[in-house]
Amino acid sequence: MTGRVPNTRGDGTVVTPLNARRRGGWHAYLFVAPSLFGVVAFLLLPMLIVLVLSLFHWELLSAPEFAGLDNYRRLADDGQTWHSLWVTFVYVLLCVPLQTVLALGLALLLNQRIKGIRLYRSLFVVPWMATPIVLALIWNWIFDPRDGAINSALALVGITGPDWLSDPAWALPAVALVSVWQYTGYTMLFFLAGLQGIPKELYDAAATDGATPAQRFWRVTLPLLNPTMFFVMVTNLIGAFQIFDTVYAMTDGGPGRSTEVLNFRIFQTAFKEFDFGYAATLSTLLFAVILAVTLAQVRFFARRTTYDLS
Amino acid sequence: MTKRILLYATLAIGAFVSVFPYLLVLLTAFKTQAQLSSTAPWLPGLPPTLANLAELLGGDFPRFVLNTAVMTALLTAGQLVFTTFAAYAFARLRFRGRDVLFWLFVATMMVPSAVTMIPLFLIMRELDLVNTWYGLLAPYVLGTPYGIFLMRQFFRTLPAGLEEAARIDGAGPLTILLRVLLPLCRPALGTLAIITVIASWNSFLWPLIITSGDDTKVITVAIATLKDGIGVDYHLMMAGSLIALVPMLAVFVFFQKYIVRSVVLTGLK
Repeated sequence: MTGRVPNTRGDGTVVTPLNARRRGGWHAYLFVAPSLFGVVAFLLLPMLIVLVLSLFHWELLSAPEFAGLDNYRRLADDGQTWHSLWVTFVYVLLCVPLQTVLALGLALLLNQRIKGIRLYRSLFVVPWMATPIVLALIWNWIFDPRDGAINSALALVGITGPDWLSDPAWALPAVALVSVWQYTGYTMLFFLAGLQGIPKELYDAAATDGATPAQRFWRVTLPLLNPTMFFVMVTNLIGAFQIFDTVYAMTDGGPGRSTEVLNFRIFQTAFKEFDFGYAATLSTLLFAVILAVTLAQVRFFARRTTYDLS
Repeated sequence: MTKRILLYATLAIGAFVSVFPYLLVLLTAFKTQAQLSSTAPWLPGLPPTLANLAELLGGDFPRFVLNTAVMTALLTAGQLVFTTFAAYAFARLRFRGRDVLFWLFVATMMVPSAVTMIPLFLIMRELDLVNTWYGLLAPYVLGTPYGIFLMRQFFRTLPAGLEEAARIDGAGPLTILLRVLLPLCRPALGTLAIITVIASWNSFLWPLIITSGDDTKVITVAIATLKDGIGVDYHLMMAGSLIALVPMLAVFVFFQKYIVRSVVLTGLK
C-alpha cells in the first residue's frame, strides 16, 4: 500500500477532485443528458405525480378531489398500515443480513481457481434467472406441510416440521427464506466483480507483512470492497423494503395479516379497494422510510475511508 | 486436503439448494396432466412426455420468445451505452449539480413501482405510445438508475489519477472513457450486461400494463396467461418457464467470462 492518502470516501465520493476539475463542464452534461431525459420523463415525473396524488381523494371512477392532508391524518390512525410497516421491517431484518453475508462468502469461495468454477457460478445464479411467477408455485409445493420436500426431509430425521405458509409464525420466515434463496447468487455477482478489482499486489504485500488470512480479509478485502458493499446494501435494502411478488404469489398476505408487507398493502389499496389517493399516501410513507434508511447508510459509509492505490 | 473437500462439499450443497426448486420445474415440464396429480413433485413422470413443449412450441410461443429477445436486446444495448456515459460523468467528472442529480436518480428507485405505474401509463397514453414497442422500451432503454448506480460505484473503485496521463496527452473525456477506463471495467460491464439481460427477459409488470396484443406480448405475460385459463396448467407453465430459462443460461455463461480479469490473479486462499 503506497501512501495512505484518503482520497475517496467509503461510498466512493472523490474528496480531492484533482482529476476532474478542468475537464467535465459541458461534456459532463452531454454524457448525462440521455439518461436524464429518461429518468425525468419516465421515473421522476410519475414519482412527483404520486406525491401530489397523496393529497387527493381519488377512487379511479370519480374525478380526483383535493383533500389536503386528509390521507395523512387517516394514516396516523391506521393500525393496519403500522402493522404492515412492522412486518416489512421484520422481513428486511430476516433476509438482508443473511443474504449479504452468504453472498460475500460465496463470492470469496468462487473467486479462487477451482475446477468447475464457471459451472458453480452459473448454478448459484439460476434462482435469480428463473421466471418469478413459476418459482412461487414451486416453493408452495416445497413448503407443503404434509408431503412437501422440506417437511419430508425433516421427517426423515424425526422432526415434525411446522405448517410453514399456513402458520402465522412461520409464513414470514418462509417468504424471507425464498428471497434469500432467490437473491444470494445475484448479490454474489456484484461482490465477485468487486473482488476482481482488488489488485493482487495488496495481498502479496499483506502476506509479506505476515498478515493472517483473517487480517487480510478485514484489512484489505473488506475496505476495498466498500464501494461495492455500498451499492449492494443500498439496492438490496431498497428492494427488500419493496418486497411484493413473493408475498403476492405465495401467501397473499396471510395467514391472517402475518405476511402483509407494506408494498402488498399498497397494492391492495390501489387495485382491490381502488383508493388511489390513499395508496399514493402509503407509497409516500414507504418512500420516506427507504429514504431514511438510505441516508443512514450514506452517512455510515462516508465515515469509512479507503486509500489511494495509484 | 481436508480444506479442499470442505470447499467442494460447501459448493455442492449450495449448488443443490440453488437448483433443487428448478429441478421440480424440469420434472413437471415433462409430465402429462394425469401424471401431475398422480406423482410427487420430485419424482419424474414415467414415461416423460414431450407434449407440453410441443404444444407451446407449436403455438404462438416462439413468437413471444422472439418478441422478448428483441426487447431484451434493445434494452441491453441502450442500457450499456447510456448507463456507461452517465455513470462515467457521475463518477469521474465534476459538474455543477452532480451529486444532487445523482441522488435524485437513486431516489427514483425508492418509490414502489406498483403505484408509479399508473401515472407512467397515463404519460404514455398522452404520448400515444400505449401498445407500441416505443412505449414498452422507452422507460428503460435510456439507462436505469440502478445500472448507473452500479457503474458509478465501479468507476469509483478505479484509482484516481488514472486519467492524468491520457489527459496530459490531450485526450478528451470520451477518449479517456473508451480507451482508459472501459478496458478496466470489463467485470462491471459483464455484470451490468447479465443483470440487464435477465431483468429485461423476466420483466412482467410493465409489459403487462403497456401492451395488449400478440405483436408485443412477452414470455412472462404469456406464461402468466396460462395460469388465467380454466384451471391452472402447471405442466404447461413449467414447460414455458423451462423454455424461458435456457437462453438465459446461455447468456450468463457467455457474459460471465468477462467477470474475470484478463490476467489471472487470485490471491484469496
